[in-house]
Amino acid sequence: MNGRQHVGLQKVSALAGTLRSSVGPVKNYKFILDEASGESVLVCSCFRIIENLEPRCAVGQLVHETVRAHHKGYRTGSGCLLFIAGAWSRAALACLQRGISVKHIIAAMSEGIDICRNVCTKSSVSLKDLAGMGKRTAAPPRLGLQRSEKPITGASRESAKVHEKCLNARGQRKVRLSRHFCETDDDVSQLPDVAVIAESLSHGCESAMKLAAEAAQMLLKTNKRRTGDPSFDVSKVTTCALPGLPEECACVVDGCVVLLSDERAAVAHVLKHQPLKVALVTGDLSQTYRHLGFKGLPAARVRERLDSSACSEADEWMEKVLKLLLDLEVKLILTTGLASQKVIQHCCQNNVLVVEQVSSSVLGIIAGSTGAVPVGYATQLTEPCVGSGVTLEIWRDLSGCERTPLTAVNISTGGTGGPVTAVITSHIRGKLQVLEDQFWACAHRLHHALKDGALLPGAGATEALCVRQLQKQAECRGVEDKGKTGSAAELYRGVVLQLMAEGLIEYAAAVMVNAGRFSAAEARNFVSENLRDFHSDEIDAGKCLQVVLESGREDGVFSAVKPDEAPTVKIYDNLSVKQEAWTRALDLVFLVLQTDAEIITGTGPETESNLMHL
Amino acid sequence: MQASVPTATRIKMNSSQTTSRLVKKSPSVCTDLPLSSLDVRDKLRLMKELLGSCYGPTARLKQVHNNIGGSVVTTSTSSVLLQAITSSRPVIGLIKSSVLNHVSRFGDCGLFAAVLCLSLVEEAARRGVGNSAAIRANDRLLALCTGYLQREDCGCRVELDFCSSRSLIALARTVVSSKPTCVLAEPESAHIGRLAVRAFLLTVPCDAPDPVRLGRTVTVPVEGRPVLESAVFPGLLLDAPEHLCGLAGVRGPVRAVLFSASLAGDLGELGDGRIEVHAGVDTDAQILDRLLELGRQALEDGVKLFVCQKVIHPVLQHYLRCGGLIVIERVGVSLMEPLIQLTGAQPVATLHAAIPSAAYGEVHDVSIRHFGSKTMLHLHPAGETAVCSMVLCHRNETMLNELKLVCQKAEHVLRLTLREPWALLGGGCTETLLAAYVRHKSKNDAPEATSALGCSQTEYLLAAEAFCRSLESVAACLEHDGGASVIDLTHAHHWTLPPDVTEQHLEGGTAATLCGCGALESCRKKKWSYLNSECADFSPAPLSTASPLRQPAVLDSFSAKVNALRVAVETANLVLDVRYVIQDVN
Repeated sequence: MNGRQHVGLQKVSALAGTLRSSVGPVKNYKFILDEASGESVLVCSCFRIIENLEPRCAVGQLVHETVRAHHKGYRTGSGCLLFIAGAWSRAALACLQRGISVKHIIAAMSEGIDICRNVCTKSSVSLKDLAGMGKRTAAPPRLGLQRSEKPITGASRESAKVHEKCLNARGQRKVRLSRHFCETDDDVSQLPDVAVIAESLSHGCESAMKLAAEAAQMLLKTNKRRTGDPSFDVSKVTTCALPGLPEECACVVDGCVVLLSDERAAVAHVLKHQPLKVALVTGDLSQTYRHLGFKGLPAARVRERLDSSACSEADEWMEKVLKLLLDLEVKLILTTGLASQKVIQHCCQNNVLVVEQVSSSVLGIIAGSTGAVPVGYATQLTEPCVGSGVTLEIWRDLSGCERTPLTAVNISTGGTGGPVTAVITSHIRGKLQVLEDQFWACAHRLHHALKDGALLPGAGATEALCVRQLQKQAECRGVEDKGKTGSAAELYRGVVLQLMAEGLIEYAAAVMVNAGRFSAAEARNFVSENLRDFHSDEIDAGKCLQVVLESGREDGVFSAVKPDEAPTVKIYDNLSVKQEAWTRALDLVFLVLQTDAEIITGTGPETESNLMHL
Repeated sequence: MQASVPTATRIKMNSSQTTSRLVKKSPSVCTDLPLSSLDVRDKLRLMKELLGSCYGPTARLKQVHNNIGGSVVTTSTSSVLLQAITSSRPVIGLIKSSVLNHVSRFGDCGLFAAVLCLSLVEEAARRGVGNSAAIRANDRLLALCTGYLQREDCGCRVELDFCSSRSLIALARTVVSSKPTCVLAEPESAHIGRLAVRAFLLTVPCDAPDPVRLGRTVTVPVEGRPVLESAVFPGLLLDAPEHLCGLAGVRGPVRAVLFSASLAGDLGELGDGRIEVHAGVDTDAQILDRLLELGRQALEDGVKLFVCQKVIHPVLQHYLRCGGLIVIERVGVSLMEPLIQLTGAQPVATLHAAIPSAAYGEVHDVSIRHFGSKTMLHLHPAGETAVCSMVLCHRNETMLNELKLVCQKAEHVLRLTLREPWALLGGGCTETLLAAYVRHKSKNDAPEATSALGCSQTEYLLAAEAFCRSLESVAACLEHDGGASVIDLTHAHHWTLPPDVTEQHLEGGTAATLCGCGALESCRKKKWSYLNSECADFSPAPLSTASPLRQPAVLDSFSAKVNALRVAVETANLVLDVRYVIQDVN
């Protein structure tokens, strides 16, 4: 172990450093160029950057694994995670340099994350309160200590006693549960409009968020009607990327939009605007397809199987399937697998539309709303497996836009909780992935907001609260413990907490720098100055970042807050996402901090010189 | 002394030659007295540092990976680390395999065995004790230790009280918290410790006839949920099939059938045999017919739960689902044994005969449980079966993997208590206590020993000192943050001083600390000595004389540690005994 110069922590810090310009609402695009192949990708989100960088070293892989796991569950907040991991790695490094032992760093940092998580829970604003606030509009909630208003903001609860807080939290949870189970109408109506939440969570991706909000509203409408459940089920949303259309054409469609080639588009034209019977197949549509795990009889082991029969077998199969389809009056087949060209041709001739590579979640939703039962083989189809009530619509003819003529067709199940498709468009093909990522990030933010039933004051306000709380704890601990014991653990605690707080300040500053107008030094100064004022509890938590927003507005880059609106704390973050990102970041730091050696197995090329061999 | 060309160059020469030529076999390399080689000693020291730094709850972790981009494992578990180590030196391979063998049998104390073994070899060499004298002395001292550990008045042994779960939980918790990769907070390790004991108790059958057969704990890892959501359930949890929407119509005792044969519709088990098929015969359709026949029988016999170890043909699945059955495929071979225990069913191994009625089993009830994003089918046991499921949750994959290992270890250790219902004081106290005992005892019986072993008294005492120092150095390995290890001169327990606290703090009683195992509190009148410093020998006082005496919070497995001690000493003796290494370099 290299003692005070922990290489692993430095690597995390360095990796996080490459993403410095990608945190916060204003991001820069990056090109990642593969020198070997000459290929390049356009990336924007932190997750995509790490994914495309493919770090090879052990620490890099650990970072990648952490980010991937977070992204899989949350689709947003990866940048925050990585930046904080980097910042807290530097904090841990600084601790090591001051001679604080690993044990003490871990103990103190664990306490630090608990403080931060608590601050998050306490300062969160429940959606109900948000709805109330929306009506009042005028008085922006102050995030300092404040007793005048009723417990509108969670932050004002901070002044309450501990046990009261607990009760509060519990009470809140009860309310949330009741929303799920008792579904009284006015309970639901107390929630703010999705559009309001969406606006405050857009974080610079307004157009993507607009789509997400539309999708959410579309699903919520049917949801509320059926179950009164105000949650936004992201699994019922799909995306369809259409190159060649301007970005303004992006929209949300009730149903599942698929792209069809010319031949099949003609069939779609015939079938449109009428209720259709649908069959769902989970395997490939071909005679040779066998389900996963089927080994079959290896040809070498079988004698007397004549080659000439293969052809006729395929024909026989085709005939059988076609007859079955026609008998069952199925006009539409959706398969998660592929269909052979021959099958498509035959089906088209008989005006049966085959759609390939439908995602299994969409298949599930359609199965649910049409009563169809997915089967493995087309030959398996029977009357009860066939669903009904699907309609086709020609959504848009894209023949002019692409070299291969394509038609976008919408398969809808008549608005009964069926899939909702976000159509994402761009003239620039390379940008589609970015736009799609943004859409998913926004959709998941909405999803988590509704699931948590609460939001965090955004634009750095929560970070500021955490910093303040960490610093307060650091100070009071220091005073307390000098008197009590001379134990090192207690003394170091203050230092560690202070360093963690600085990590959060760094984050806030980086966001400001990215928003433009501020140099790195100015941003840091500004944040720490504001924090000093903040100690006196006089300043709005959101103030410092408001300046960011204002400056951004002038540049016309940043339009999260509409210019005509009062400077209220309009920006919110997701509660669970932020907590989770911080926790994961710290877990990563802990793992790396505690690691002092790599064991390299196998016989790859040896590149490093400082290896020891056993 | 090297009798031939070094290995590395030899390999290079071979690879530079053209491929199709016959290469004359190179002669084997014979190395005389491997331990005298500087390289071997360096490697042994490196290995000791590597493993020693992984020892204990504040250990440093290691990242195990290959340098071609494989997955990274972060761990401090001996079984993983040792498996990753490959060495050109057979001596290291010898130590590695004997420790791994110990771990596979006892589950715990692998690092203890490895570090002790390496220390014994190192100390013997450092003190210049002749190898043969060291070997004989080590054997005698080992017998002294094991004899002491078996004695009624042994100071480091604690009787396990099965009437209360407290000491069992302490034992489990020690195992759980010994691996920092799990990153467990205090309440979390307590929770997991309790769960481990609970799972263990569930696997002990209540009134089974002789011979008692312990049940099984099946671990279900869930990533991304907090540790405190981990839980233990009697019965089994299986991944719920994708299309399972509710358990409508499945109530009360559920008849179950279990297939170990593949129902994929192929003839997978043909081996290299040859079958002849007449043209025009559709084998697939015929097998499918047979499968559907089986399905119909299951349906008619009132089966509600249809489980297959391997793949089930989609057509059969569809048929069974339409009949209202719960169909689960691909449960895997590892779940078959617990499933058999739970349901009492006989797995059906062929599809070419009707299902015998004796093959059917039963579960009491089924229900659906959700853990994070996982949906699981919970099979409740029909009678008293010793099968349970342990759901382990953790925030990320690395930590979860280590937590899984740790829980398996805890289960193993708890099971060992059934045979030997004792535990040893943990936190290094057993090691220091044994060292003090051996040091004291060996001085007294030196004359007798020298005549029995046929060596000089000086040699014996040197060897005994090497043995004690080795034991103490294992205890000292528990500290990784620059603190000092001390021993108190009454009970010979192990204490750790943080780097900035001096001995005076302990003596002055200002730093209210506990000893390694948590049974003793520091007080004014105690006398201290730094580990591995010269001190007068003394006979450790029995624990009962201490006041205040607390319940030891850190306990190690008795069986595992005693065996590890044995393995360490015997392996060290073997290593010391190696005269020649003969390596085939072809």
